Amino acid sequence: MESESQAAPAGAPESLVREISALWGEYLNGREVGADDDFFELGGNSLIGIKIIDRVSQDYGVALSVRDFYLAQTPLRVAELIEQGRAQP
Amino acid sequence: MRLTPGPARDVDLECLDLFDLDLYSYGDPHPVWDVMRDKAPLHHQVLPDGREFWSVTRYEDVCRVLGDHREFTSERGTTPTHVGIDDPAAGVLLTSTDPPRHTEVRRPIGTKLTARAVKSWEDSIRRTIQRFLEPALEGETFDLAEKALLLPAMVTGPLLGIPEKDWEELVQLTAMVTAPSDPHFKTGSEAATLAIAHHELVTYVKEWVRTRRASGAEDDSLLHHLMSVRPGGAPLSDEEIALDGYSILLGANVTTPHTVSGTVQALIERPEQFEKAQADPSLVPNLVEEGLRWTSAACNFMRYAVDDVQIGGGTIPARGAVVAWIGSANRDASQFPDPHEFDITRAGAKRHVAFGFGPHFCIGGPLARMTLRIFFEELLQRFGSIELDGEPQHLRSYFIAGMTHLPIVAQKRKTP
Repeated sequence: MESESQAAPAGAPESLVREISALWGEYLNGREVGADDDFFELGGNSLIGIKIIDRVSQDYGVALSVRDFYLAQTPLRVAELIEQGRAQP
Repeated sequence: MRLTPGPARDVDLECLDLFDLDLYSYGDPHPVWDVMRDKAPLHHQVLPDGREFWSVTRYEDVCRVLGDHREFTSERGTTPTHVGIDDPAAGVLLTSTDPPRHTEVRRPIGTKLTARAVKSWEDSIRRTIQRFLEPALEGETFDLAEKALLLPAMVTGPLLGIPEKDWEELVQLTAMVTAPSDPHFKTGSEAATLAIAHHELVTYVKEWVRTRRASGAEDDSLLHHLMSVRPGGAPLSDEEIALDGYSILLGANVTTPHTVSGTVQALIERPEQFEKAQADPSLVPNLVEEGLRWTSAACNFMRYAVDDVQIGGGTIPARGAVVAWIGSANRDASQFPDPHEFDITRAGAKRHVAFGFGPHFCIGGPLARMTLRIFFEELLQRFGSIELDGEPQHLRSYFIAGMTHLPIVAQKRKTP
Protein backbone atom coordinates (compact mmCIF):
# COMPACT_ATOMS: atom_id res chain seq x y z
CA MET A 1 0.00 0.00 0.00
CA GLU A 2 1.20 3.49 -0.81
CA SER A 3 1.08 6.28 1.75
CA GLU A 4 -1.33 9.18 1.38
CA SER A 5 1.41 11.70 0.63
CA GLN A 6 2.85 9.63 -2.21
CA ALA A 7 -0.62 9.21 -3.57
CA ALA A 8 -1.34 12.93 -3.73
CA PRO A 9 -2.82 13.16 -7.19
CA ALA A 10 -1.98 15.70 -9.82
CA GLY A 11 -5.38 15.68 -11.48
CA ALA A 12 -7.85 14.29 -8.97
CA PRO A 13 -8.82 15.36 -5.44
CA GLU A 14 -7.52 13.12 -2.70
CA SER A 15 -11.05 12.40 -1.50
CA LEU A 16 -11.99 11.01 -4.91
CA VAL A 17 -8.90 8.81 -4.95
CA ARG A 18 -9.89 7.46 -1.53
CA GLU A 19 -13.44 6.81 -2.70
CA ILE A 20 -12.24 4.93 -5.74
CA SER A 21 -9.80 2.88 -3.66
CA ALA A 22 -12.65 2.01 -1.31
CA LEU A 23 -14.93 1.14 -4.23
CA TRP A 24 -12.33 -1.28 -5.58
CA GLY A 25 -12.00 -2.81 -2.15
CA GLU A 26 -15.74 -3.55 -2.10
CA TYR A 27 -15.41 -5.67 -5.23
CA LEU A 28 -12.06 -7.20 -4.29
CA ASN A 29 -13.18 -9.19 -1.26
CA GLY A 30 -13.18 -6.15 1.02
CA ARG A 31 -9.43 -5.87 1.02
CA GLU A 32 -7.66 -2.60 1.64
CA VAL A 33 -6.66 -0.93 -1.59
CA GLY A 34 -4.01 1.78 -1.92
CA ALA A 35 -4.02 4.57 -4.49
CA ASP A 36 -1.20 3.05 -6.52
CA ASP A 37 -2.13 -0.61 -6.19
CA ASP A 38 -2.32 -2.55 -9.42
CA PHE A 39 -5.80 -3.81 -10.35
CA PHE A 40 -4.54 -7.11 -11.69
CA GLU A 41 -2.11 -7.77 -8.84
CA LEU A 42 -5.07 -7.30 -6.49
CA GLY A 43 -6.84 -10.14 -8.30
CA GLY A 44 -8.95 -7.89 -10.52
CA ASN A 45 -10.55 -9.32 -13.64
CA SER A 46 -13.03 -8.25 -16.29
CA LEU A 47 -16.10 -9.38 -14.35
CA ILE A 48 -15.03 -7.16 -11.45
CA GLY A 49 -14.12 -4.38 -13.89
CA ILE A 50 -17.61 -4.46 -15.39
CA LYS A 51 -19.11 -3.91 -11.93
CA ILE A 52 -16.70 -1.11 -11.05
CA ILE A 53 -17.28 0.75 -14.33
CA ASP A 54 -21.05 0.41 -13.80
CA ARG A 55 -20.73 1.86 -10.31
CA VAL A 56 -18.58 4.74 -11.50
CA SER A 57 -21.22 5.52 -14.09
CA GLN A 58 -24.01 5.48 -11.48
CA ASP A 59 -22.16 7.28 -8.70
CA TYR A 60 -20.22 9.87 -10.71
CA GLY A 61 -22.10 10.08 -13.98
CA VAL A 62 -18.93 9.34 -15.92
CA ALA A 63 -18.84 6.58 -18.53
CA LEU A 64 -15.26 5.31 -18.43
CA SER A 65 -13.85 3.80 -21.57
CA VAL A 66 -13.12 0.12 -21.03
CA ARG A 67 -9.66 0.45 -22.51
CA ASP A 68 -8.79 3.51 -20.44
CA PHE A 69 -9.94 1.80 -17.25
CA TYR A 70 -7.76 -1.31 -17.63
CA LEU A 71 -4.79 0.61 -18.96
CA ALA A 72 -5.02 3.02 -16.01
CA GLN A 73 -4.74 0.05 -13.65
CA THR A 74 -4.61 2.02 -10.34
CA PRO A 75 -7.26 3.87 -8.29
CA LEU A 76 -5.22 7.07 -8.60
CA ARG A 77 -5.19 7.03 -12.38
CA VAL A 78 -8.84 5.93 -12.56
CA ALA A 79 -9.74 8.88 -10.31
CA GLU A 80 -7.90 11.12 -12.77
CA LEU A 81 -9.96 9.67 -15.62
CA ILE A 82 -13.14 10.42 -13.70
CA GLU A 83 -11.95 13.96 -13.05
CA GLN A 84 -11.22 14.42 -16.74
CA GLY A 85 -14.60 12.95 -17.60
CA ARG A 86 -16.35 15.40 -15.29
CA ALA A 87 -14.44 18.33 -16.78
CA GLN A 88 -15.78 17.56 -20.23
CA PRO A 89 -19.04 19.33 -21.10
CA MET B 1 5.02 -22.55 -34.16
CA ARG B 2 6.50 -24.65 -36.93
CA LEU B 3 4.09 -27.35 -38.07
CA THR B 4 6.73 -29.26 -40.00
CA PRO B 5 9.25 -29.94 -37.27
CA GLY B 6 12.97 -29.50 -37.71
CA PRO B 7 15.44 -32.23 -36.72
CA ALA B 8 15.10 -34.03 -33.38
CA ARG B 9 17.14 -32.39 -30.65
CA ASP B 10 18.16 -32.85 -27.04
CA VAL B 11 15.65 -31.43 -24.61
CA ASP B 12 16.45 -30.75 -20.99
CA LEU B 13 13.16 -31.76 -19.38
CA GLU B 14 14.20 -30.27 -16.03
CA CYS B 15 14.58 -26.74 -17.42
CA LEU B 16 11.84 -26.96 -20.00
CA ASP B 17 9.50 -23.94 -20.07
CA LEU B 18 6.33 -24.83 -21.95
CA PHE B 19 4.99 -21.31 -21.49
CA ASP B 20 8.02 -19.71 -23.15
CA LEU B 21 6.27 -17.65 -25.84
CA ASP B 22 9.40 -17.57 -27.99
CA LEU B 23 9.03 -21.32 -28.41
CA TYR B 24 5.76 -20.69 -30.25
CA SER B 25 6.67 -17.43 -32.04
CA TYR B 26 10.02 -18.53 -33.41
CA GLY B 27 10.62 -22.06 -32.16
CA ASP B 28 9.76 -25.64 -32.82
CA PRO B 29 7.69 -27.31 -30.07
CA HIS B 30 7.15 -30.65 -31.85
CA PRO B 31 10.61 -32.11 -31.12
CA VAL B 32 10.03 -31.06 -27.49
CA TRP B 33 6.68 -32.85 -27.29
CA ASP B 34 8.23 -35.88 -29.02
CA VAL B 35 10.72 -36.16 -26.16
CA MET B 36 8.01 -35.57 -23.57
CA ARG B 37 5.77 -38.34 -24.93
CA ASP B 38 8.75 -40.66 -24.94
CA LYS B 39 10.53 -39.77 -21.70
CA ALA B 40 8.17 -37.76 -19.52
CA PRO B 41 4.54 -38.51 -20.36
CA LEU B 42 3.64 -36.71 -17.14
CA HIS B 43 5.65 -33.52 -16.86
CA HIS B 44 5.67 -31.03 -14.00
CA GLN B 45 6.59 -27.36 -14.32
CA VAL B 46 6.74 -24.55 -11.79
CA LEU B 47 6.35 -21.03 -13.19
CA PRO B 48 8.60 -18.22 -11.92
CA ASP B 49 5.72 -16.88 -9.77
CA GLY B 50 5.28 -20.25 -8.06
CA ARG B 51 2.21 -21.47 -9.92
CA GLU B 52 2.62 -25.02 -11.13
CA PHE B 53 1.04 -27.36 -13.63
CA TRP B 54 1.34 -30.86 -14.94
CA SER B 55 1.34 -31.74 -18.62
CA VAL B 56 0.16 -34.82 -20.48
CA THR B 57 1.26 -35.24 -24.07
CA ARG B 58 0.28 -38.79 -25.09
CA TYR B 59 -2.89 -39.34 -27.09
CA GLU B 60 -4.55 -41.67 -24.59
CA ASP B 61 -3.72 -39.46 -21.60
CA VAL B 62 -4.96 -36.33 -23.36
CA CYS B 63 -8.26 -38.09 -24.14
CA ARG B 64 -8.58 -39.22 -20.54
CA VAL B 65 -7.97 -35.76 -19.08
CA LEU B 66 -10.38 -34.08 -21.50
CA GLY B 67 -12.94 -36.87 -21.36
CA ASP B 68 -13.39 -37.74 -17.70
CA HIS B 69 -14.92 -34.90 -15.71
CA ARG B 70 -15.07 -36.98 -12.52
CA GLU B 71 -11.28 -37.14 -12.38
CA PHE B 72 -10.52 -33.86 -14.14
CA THR B 73 -12.90 -30.97 -13.58
CA SER B 74 -13.51 -27.96 -15.83
CA GLU B 75 -15.20 -26.01 -13.06
CA ARG B 76 -12.12 -23.99 -12.12
CA GLY B 77 -11.23 -22.94 -15.65
CA THR B 78 -9.98 -24.59 -18.82
CA THR B 79 -7.54 -22.22 -20.49
CA PRO B 80 -3.86 -22.29 -19.63
CA THR B 81 -3.67 -18.47 -19.61
CA HIS B 82 -5.39 -18.77 -16.23
CA VAL B 83 -3.43 -21.65 -14.79
CA GLY B 84 -3.63 -21.66 -11.00
CA ILE B 85 -6.11 -18.75 -10.87
CA ASP B 86 -9.68 -19.93 -10.50
CA ASP B 87 -11.78 -18.75 -13.43
CA PRO B 88 -14.21 -16.07 -12.19
CA ALA B 89 -16.73 -17.31 -14.77
CA ALA B 90 -16.47 -20.93 -13.62
CA GLY B 91 -19.75 -22.75 -13.18
CA VAL B 92 -21.54 -20.14 -15.33
CA LEU B 93 -19.61 -20.32 -18.56
CA LEU B 94 -20.54 -23.53 -20.39
CA THR B 95 -16.93 -24.46 -21.11
CA SER B 96 -16.13 -24.20 -17.40
CA THR B 97 -19.01 -26.38 -16.23
CA ASP B 98 -19.11 -30.12 -15.62
CA PRO B 99 -21.96 -32.51 -16.29
CA PRO B 100 -24.81 -32.77 -15.38
CA ARG B 101 -25.39 -28.99 -15.68
CA HIS B 102 -23.10 -28.87 -18.70
CA THR B 103 -25.17 -31.52 -20.48
CA GLU B 104 -28.43 -29.68 -19.74
CA VAL B 105 -27.21 -26.39 -21.20
CA ARG B 106 -25.22 -27.82 -24.05
CA ARG B 107 -27.94 -30.03 -25.50
CA PRO B 108 -30.39 -27.31 -26.57
CA ILE B 109 -27.58 -25.09 -27.95
CA GLY B 110 -26.08 -28.05 -29.77
CA THR B 111 -29.29 -28.83 -31.66
CA LYS B 112 -28.63 -25.74 -33.81
CA LEU B 113 -25.13 -26.89 -34.64
CA THR B 114 -25.41 -30.55 -35.59
CA ALA B 115 -24.09 -31.65 -38.99
CA ARG B 116 -27.67 -31.92 -40.20
CA ALA B 117 -28.62 -28.45 -38.92
CA VAL B 118 -25.60 -26.70 -40.44
CA LYS B 119 -26.14 -28.37 -43.81
CA SER B 120 -28.83 -25.80 -44.60
CA TRP B 121 -26.19 -23.06 -44.54
CA GLU B 122 -23.94 -24.77 -47.09
CA ASP B 123 -24.87 -22.62 -50.09
CA SER B 124 -24.52 -19.31 -48.31
CA ILE B 125 -21.21 -20.38 -46.81
CA ARG B 126 -19.98 -21.37 -50.28
CA ARG B 127 -20.84 -17.93 -51.64
CA THR B 128 -19.01 -16.32 -48.72
CA ILE B 129 -15.91 -18.39 -49.35
CA GLN B 130 -15.97 -17.61 -53.07
CA ARG B 131 -16.10 -13.93 -52.16
CA PHE B 132 -13.24 -14.45 -49.70
CA LEU B 133 -11.00 -16.20 -52.24
CA GLU B 134 -11.61 -13.90 -55.21
CA PRO B 135 -9.04 -11.23 -54.31
CA ALA B 136 -6.36 -13.90 -53.93
CA LEU B 137 -6.61 -14.58 -57.66
CA GLU B 138 -5.90 -11.03 -58.77
CA GLY B 139 -2.19 -11.78 -59.01
CA GLU B 140 -1.08 -9.64 -56.07
CA THR B 141 0.38 -10.90 -52.82
CA PHE B 142 -2.43 -12.13 -50.60
CA ASP B 143 -1.74 -12.46 -46.89
CA LEU B 144 -3.84 -15.52 -46.22
CA ALA B 145 -3.24 -15.69 -42.46
CA GLU B 146 -4.16 -12.05 -42.00
CA LYS B 147 -7.25 -12.23 -44.21
CA ALA B 148 -8.37 -15.57 -42.77
CA LEU B 149 -8.80 -13.98 -39.34
CA LEU B 150 -12.00 -12.47 -40.70
CA LEU B 151 -13.23 -15.61 -42.47
CA PRO B 152 -15.11 -17.18 -39.52
CA ALA B 153 -16.91 -13.91 -38.87
CA MET B 154 -17.92 -13.76 -42.54
CA VAL B 155 -19.22 -17.32 -42.31
CA THR B 156 -20.79 -17.30 -38.86
CA GLY B 157 -21.81 -13.63 -38.56
CA PRO B 158 -25.19 -14.16 -40.22
CA LEU B 159 -25.79 -17.40 -38.29
CA LEU B 160 -24.92 -15.81 -34.97
CA GLY B 161 -26.87 -12.66 -35.73
CA ILE B 162 -23.88 -10.30 -35.77
CA PRO B 163 -24.03 -7.42 -38.26
CA GLU B 164 -21.10 -7.02 -40.66
CA LYS B 165 -20.09 -3.62 -39.24
CA ASP B 166 -19.10 -5.32 -35.97
CA TRP B 167 -17.09 -8.21 -37.38
CA GLU B 168 -13.71 -6.56 -37.54
CA GLU B 169 -13.80 -5.30 -33.99
CA LEU B 170 -15.03 -8.62 -32.62
CA VAL B 171 -12.30 -10.48 -34.49
CA GLN B 172 -9.70 -8.14 -33.02
CA LEU B 173 -11.10 -8.74 -29.52
CA THR B 174 -11.23 -12.53 -29.81
CA ALA B 175 -7.65 -12.51 -31.11
CA MET B 176 -6.63 -10.48 -28.06
CA VAL B 177 -8.09 -13.20 -25.81
CA THR B 178 -6.12 -15.99 -27.41
CA ALA B 179 -2.83 -14.23 -27.97
CA PRO B 180 -2.63 -11.36 -25.45
CA SER B 181 1.16 -11.21 -25.83
CA ASP B 182 1.29 -11.14 -29.61
CA PRO B 183 2.45 -7.69 -30.76
CA HIS B 184 -0.44 -7.61 -33.25
CA PHE B 185 -2.98 -7.74 -30.45
CA LYS B 186 -1.31 -6.66 -27.21
CA THR B 187 -2.77 -3.54 -25.57
CA GLY B 188 -0.77 -2.45 -22.53
CA SER B 189 0.10 -5.46 -20.41
CA GLU B 190 -0.97 -9.05 -21.08
CA ALA B 191 -3.43 -8.84 -18.16
CA ALA B 192 -4.91 -5.58 -19.49
CA THR B 193 -5.23 -7.04 -22.98
CA LEU B 194 -7.16 -10.03 -21.67
CA ALA B 195 -9.38 -7.94 -19.43
CA ILE B 196 -10.20 -5.38 -22.15
CA ALA B 197 -11.09 -8.13 -24.59
CA HIS B 198 -13.17 -10.16 -22.09
CA HIS B 199 -14.96 -7.05 -20.95
CA GLU B 200 -15.76 -5.74 -24.43
CA LEU B 201 -16.95 -9.12 -25.70
CA VAL B 202 -19.19 -9.86 -22.73
CA THR B 203 -20.58 -6.31 -22.89
CA TYR B 204 -21.18 -6.72 -26.62
CA VAL B 205 -23.36 -9.78 -26.08
CA LYS B 206 -25.17 -8.12 -23.15
CA GLU B 207 -25.97 -5.09 -25.32
CA TRP B 208 -27.08 -7.37 -28.15
CA VAL B 209 -29.50 -9.13 -25.82
CA ARG B 210 -30.75 -5.86 -24.31
CA THR B 211 -31.47 -4.36 -27.75
CA ARG B 212 -33.17 -7.55 -28.86
CA ARG B 213 -35.37 -7.69 -25.78
CA ALA B 214 -36.31 -4.05 -26.13
CA SER B 215 -37.32 -4.42 -29.76
CA GLY B 216 -39.06 -7.75 -29.24
CA ALA B 217 -37.62 -8.90 -32.56
CA GLU B 218 -37.16 -12.61 -33.08
CA ASP B 219 -34.95 -14.34 -35.56
CA ASP B 220 -33.25 -17.58 -36.33
CA SER B 221 -29.83 -16.59 -35.04
CA LEU B 222 -27.80 -18.55 -32.56
CA LEU B 223 -27.56 -15.66 -30.09
CA HIS B 224 -31.32 -15.32 -30.16
CA HIS B 225 -31.54 -19.06 -29.60
CA LEU B 226 -29.44 -18.62 -26.42
CA MET B 227 -32.13 -16.27 -25.15
CA SER B 228 -34.90 -18.77 -25.73
CA VAL B 229 -33.47 -22.11 -24.59
CA ARG B 230 -34.72 -23.52 -21.29
CA PRO B 231 -32.17 -26.02 -20.02
CA GLY B 232 -33.56 -27.86 -17.02
CA GLY B 233 -36.84 -25.96 -17.47
CA ALA B 234 -35.53 -22.44 -16.83
CA PRO B 235 -34.08 -19.86 -19.23
CA LEU B 236 -30.40 -18.99 -19.07
CA SER B 237 -29.54 -16.06 -16.82
CA ASP B 238 -28.36 -12.88 -18.54
CA GLU B 239 -24.89 -13.59 -17.27
CA GLU B 240 -24.96 -17.09 -18.74
CA ILE B 241 -26.18 -15.74 -22.07
CA ALA B 242 -23.42 -13.13 -22.09
CA LEU B 243 -20.68 -15.59 -21.16
CA ASP B 244 -21.85 -18.40 -23.44
CA GLY B 245 -22.32 -15.92 -26.26
CA TYR B 246 -18.77 -14.75 -25.62
CA SER B 247 -17.58 -18.34 -25.66
CA ILE B 248 -19.32 -19.07 -28.96
CA LEU B 249 -17.82 -15.93 -30.55
CA LEU B 250 -14.43 -16.99 -29.33
CA GLY B 251 -14.74 -20.58 -30.50
CA ALA B 252 -15.97 -19.45 -33.89
CA ASN B 253 -13.26 -16.89 -34.50
CA VAL B 254 -9.95 -18.02 -33.18
CA THR B 255 -9.22 -21.50 -34.44
CA THR B 256 -10.51 -22.02 -37.99
CA PRO B 257 -8.31 -19.29 -39.54
CA HIS B 258 -5.21 -21.07 -38.34
CA THR B 259 -6.36 -24.43 -39.67
CA VAL B 260 -6.95 -22.75 -43.02
CA SER B 261 -3.51 -21.08 -43.10
CA GLY B 262 -1.59 -24.06 -41.71
CA THR B 263 -3.20 -26.51 -44.10
CA VAL B 264 -2.60 -24.26 -47.11
CA GLN B 265 1.02 -23.88 -46.01
CA ALA B 266 1.33 -27.69 -45.80
CA LEU B 267 -0.02 -27.96 -49.35
CA ILE B 268 2.36 -25.26 -50.62
CA GLU B 269 5.28 -27.16 -49.15
CA ARG B 270 4.03 -30.41 -50.69
CA PRO B 271 2.98 -29.80 -54.30
CA GLU B 272 2.41 -33.53 -54.81
CA GLN B 273 -0.31 -33.49 -52.12
CA PHE B 274 -1.86 -30.41 -53.70
CA GLU B 275 -1.95 -32.14 -57.09
CA LYS B 276 -3.37 -35.31 -55.59
CA ALA B 277 -6.25 -33.40 -53.99
CA GLN B 278 -6.86 -31.45 -57.17
CA ALA B 279 -7.04 -34.64 -59.20
CA ASP B 280 -9.52 -36.24 -56.82
CA PRO B 281 -11.91 -33.87 -55.02
CA SER B 282 -13.36 -36.80 -53.08
CA LEU B 283 -10.17 -36.60 -50.99
CA VAL B 284 -11.15 -33.19 -49.62
CA PRO B 285 -12.98 -34.42 -46.49
CA ASN B 286 -9.92 -36.40 -45.45
CA LEU B 287 -7.65 -33.50 -46.40
CA VAL B 288 -9.69 -31.44 -43.92
CA GLU B 289 -9.25 -34.04 -41.16
CA GLU B 290 -5.53 -34.25 -41.82
CA GLY B 291 -5.38 -30.44 -41.82
CA LEU B 292 -7.16 -30.34 -38.47
CA ARG B 293 -4.75 -32.92 -37.04
CA TRP B 294 -1.73 -31.21 -38.56
CA THR B 295 -2.54 -27.69 -37.39
CA SER B 296 -4.20 -28.47 -34.02
CA ALA B 297 -5.11 -24.81 -33.66
CA ALA B 298 -6.37 -25.22 -30.10
CA CYS B 299 -3.01 -26.33 -28.83
CA ASN B 300 -4.14 -27.40 -25.37
CA PHE B 301 -6.83 -27.22 -22.74
CA MET B 302 -6.56 -27.31 -18.98
CA ARG B 303 -8.36 -29.25 -16.27
CA TYR B 304 -7.88 -29.63 -12.51
CA ALA B 305 -7.42 -32.97 -10.80
CA VAL B 306 -10.30 -33.64 -8.41
CA ASP B 307 -8.33 -36.10 -6.25
CA ASP B 308 -4.82 -37.50 -6.41
CA VAL B 309 -4.73 -39.23 -9.77
CA GLN B 310 -2.35 -41.64 -11.47
CA ILE B 311 -1.62 -40.84 -15.09
CA GLY B 312 1.30 -41.04 -17.48
CA GLY B 313 3.33 -43.06 -15.00
CA GLY B 314 3.07 -40.46 -12.22
CA THR B 315 0.67 -38.77 -9.85
CA ILE B 316 -1.06 -35.42 -10.13
CA PRO B 317 -2.04 -34.25 -6.64
CA ALA B 318 -5.61 -33.28 -5.83
CA ARG B 319 -6.39 -29.73 -7.08
CA GLY B 320 -3.35 -29.75 -9.37
CA ALA B 321 -3.68 -28.07 -12.78
CA VAL B 322 -3.13 -30.33 -15.76
CA VAL B 323 -2.61 -29.18 -19.32
CA ALA B 324 -3.62 -31.65 -22.03
CA TRP B 325 -1.48 -30.92 -25.09
CA ILE B 326 -3.71 -31.53 -28.09
CA GLY B 327 -0.96 -30.51 -30.52
CA SER B 328 1.17 -33.31 -29.15
CA ALA B 329 -1.57 -35.95 -28.96
CA ASN B 330 -2.25 -35.40 -32.64
CA ARG B 331 1.37 -36.32 -33.44
CA ASP B 332 1.44 -39.43 -31.25
CA ALA B 333 2.91 -42.24 -33.37
CA SER B 334 0.85 -44.83 -31.48
CA GLN B 335 -2.24 -43.38 -33.21
CA PHE B 336 -0.76 -41.73 -36.29
CA PRO B 337 2.10 -43.62 -37.94
CA ASP B 338 4.78 -41.23 -39.27
CA PRO B 339 2.99 -38.47 -37.38
CA HIS B 340 5.10 -35.66 -38.82
CA GLU B 341 4.15 -36.56 -42.36
CA PHE B 342 1.28 -34.51 -43.80
CA ASP B 343 -0.70 -37.05 -45.82
CA ILE B 344 -4.14 -36.23 -47.18
CA THR B 345 -4.81 -39.93 -47.69
CA ARG B 346 -3.89 -40.87 -44.13
CA ALA B 347 -6.15 -43.62 -42.77
CA GLY B 348 -7.60 -42.70 -39.40
CA ALA B 349 -6.82 -38.98 -39.66
CA LYS B 350 -10.28 -38.39 -38.24
CA ARG B 351 -9.20 -39.83 -34.88
CA HIS B 352 -7.49 -36.50 -34.18
CA VAL B 353 -8.51 -34.58 -31.09
CA ALA B 354 -8.27 -31.11 -32.64
CA PHE B 355 -11.87 -30.50 -31.55
CA GLY B 356 -11.14 -31.88 -28.11
CA PHE B 357 -12.61 -35.06 -26.70
CA GLY B 358 -15.51 -35.99 -24.45
CA PRO B 359 -18.26 -33.75 -23.08
CA HIS B 360 -16.60 -30.50 -24.18
CA PHE B 361 -15.98 -31.62 -27.77
CA CYS B 362 -16.14 -28.46 -29.89
CA ILE B 363 -19.81 -27.55 -30.26
CA GLY B 364 -19.04 -25.85 -33.58
CA GLY B 365 -17.12 -28.86 -34.91
CA PRO B 366 -19.67 -29.81 -37.59
CA LEU B 367 -19.83 -26.22 -38.84
CA ALA B 368 -16.03 -25.93 -38.88
CA ARG B 369 -15.73 -29.22 -40.78
CA MET B 370 -18.23 -28.10 -43.39
CA THR B 371 -16.65 -24.66 -43.73
CA LEU B 372 -13.19 -26.17 -44.19
CA ARG B 373 -14.47 -28.70 -46.70
CA ILE B 374 -16.10 -25.95 -48.77
CA PHE B 375 -12.98 -23.81 -48.44
CA PHE B 376 -10.71 -26.50 -49.87
CA GLU B 377 -13.21 -27.55 -52.54
CA GLU B 378 -13.32 -23.96 -53.77
CA LEU B 379 -9.58 -23.43 -53.40
CA LEU B 380 -8.66 -26.55 -55.36
CA GLN B 381 -11.18 -25.81 -58.05
CA ARG B 382 -10.05 -22.22 -58.59
CA PHE B 383 -6.34 -22.19 -57.82
CA GLY B 384 -3.85 -23.71 -60.26
CA SER B 385 -0.86 -23.14 -58.04
CA ILE B 386 0.02 -21.40 -54.83
CA GLU B 387 3.43 -20.11 -53.86
CA LEU B 388 4.83 -18.58 -50.74
CA ASP B 389 5.66 -14.90 -51.19
CA GLY B 390 7.45 -14.03 -47.96
CA GLU B 391 8.13 -15.37 -44.52
CA PRO B 392 5.22 -16.78 -42.53
CA GLN B 393 4.91 -15.30 -39.04
CA HIS B 394 3.67 -17.33 -36.12
CA LEU B 395 1.23 -16.33 -33.42
CA ARG B 396 2.83 -15.54 -30.08
CA SER B 397 0.70 -17.88 -28.00
CA TYR B 398 1.06 -21.16 -26.19
CA PHE B 399 -2.70 -21.63 -26.30
CA ILE B 400 -3.54 -21.17 -29.97
CA ALA B 401 -1.13 -22.51 -32.57
CA GLY B 402 -1.41 -20.24 -35.56
CA MET B 403 -0.04 -17.69 -37.94
CA THR B 404 -0.36 -13.93 -38.21
CA HIS B 405 1.13 -13.69 -41.71
CA LEU B 406 1.25 -16.11 -44.62
CA PRO B 407 1.87 -14.15 -47.82
CA ILE B 408 1.00 -16.15 -50.91
CA VAL B 409 0.70 -15.64 -54.63
CA ALA B 410 -1.80 -17.80 -56.47
CA GLN B 411 -2.47 -18.53 -60.13
CA LYS B 412 -5.89 -19.23 -61.54
CA ARG B 413 -6.55 -22.82 -62.49
CA LYS B 414 -6.82 -23.09 -66.25
CA THR B 415 -8.60 -26.40 -66.71
CA PRO B 416 -11.05 -26.87 -63.92
